[in-house]
Amino acid sequence: MTVESAVLGASAAAPIDETSRSSGWRLALAGAREMAPMTMGVVPFGFAIGAMIASSSVGVWAGIASAPLVLAGAAQLATLQMLDAGADPAVIVVSALVINLRLLLYGTSLAPWFRGARLRTRLLVAEVVIDQTHFVCVPRFERGDLTLERRVVYYCGAGFSLAGAFVASQVLAVVLGANLPPAARLDMAAPLALVGLLAKATIDVPRTLAAGAAICVAAAAVAMPFHLSTLVATLAAIVVGVTAQLRSGRKAVPS
Amino acid sequence: MNTWLVLLGVGVGTYCFRVAMFVLVGDRQLPAWTDRPLAFVGPAAIGALVGGMLFTSHGRFDAVGLAELASVAAAFVTVRRTGDVAKGLMVAFPILWLLTAANL
Repeated sequence: MTVESAVLGASAAAPIDETSRSSGWRLALAGAREMAPMTMGVVPFGFAIGAMIASSSVGVWAGIASAPLVLAGAAQLATLQMLDAGADPAVIVVSALVINLRLLLYGTSLAPWFRGARLRTRLLVAEVVIDQTHFVCVPRFERGDLTLERRVVYYCGAGFSLAGAFVASQVLAVVLGANLPPAARLDMAAPLALVGLLAKATIDVPRTLAAGAAICVAAAAVAMPFHLSTLVATLAAIVVGVTAQLRSGRKAVPS
Repeated sequence: MNTWLVLLGVGVGTYCFRVAMFVLVGDRQLPAWTDRPLAFVGPAAIGALVGGMLFTSHGRFDAVGLAELASVAAAFVTVRRTGDVAKGLMVAFPILWLLTAANL
């Protein structure tokens, strides 16, 4: 059974241009490889969350379970911190979900690339919708050389390698009780990887203006309740970008 | 018990956000007017995350230091020139280590 048919179900009717097992795995590995800089960025973040779990009152099993349950670092960290501080359960859930509202935007952007896939494939693919899978996979898909089946394989290789490394780094930190050596400055790994992505994403003036607006609004709106600032900054930046593009009269790049 | 219910609530709610458009879109095309805003989701969302990481701390405005900003600039320029995020990290980290050691 090829990777494609394993993922899509053995009765997937659509023809695939590469059917050998090795090419499927190679494609999944290519996804994992192109995700590697992002993976390098989330591992220290995972260590930091794991070290926090080990020292919090939430409990080791609940803390470890939160990694695969949430699969989103900022919301997981906020949830664990608020649980540890004894915040109201409803406030914790709402705050974490507000942080994760951006996933709805990523899903909107990613879903069209998997149109026509079986429902269970789409349910599986959705599991690893996160900042990094959107940032790495959408530009790769826009090159237009991958069929639906190969997009699924590439995406799963990229997404599940990232998710696996994120969960494993947390478990390892809890088990070892590891503390990050401060001199290594691994706390900057995630922001530096994101800045690298920003350098790749700001390909024209409207996108650069959007990114600049997002940075400014995220900093200025930080005092908003329930961690709303990230979402507000994202939406404001989209408005800025669209406005700038309409003014410059350029055509949007089809998603 | 409350802890597990909270984690379940966050986990299930988060998955609903992730999967919503995959189920709703199905085999249909998204309307054409969505193309333009969707093209900006990437730079907008990364910018928002970067802004929060570099210029806020514990819920208030608080910029990172010179060493961090210098490494960020180095990463940005390197990736802009090479198109490779890994190379950006390889250039930025030594700068960050040096400047951190120099207490900048």
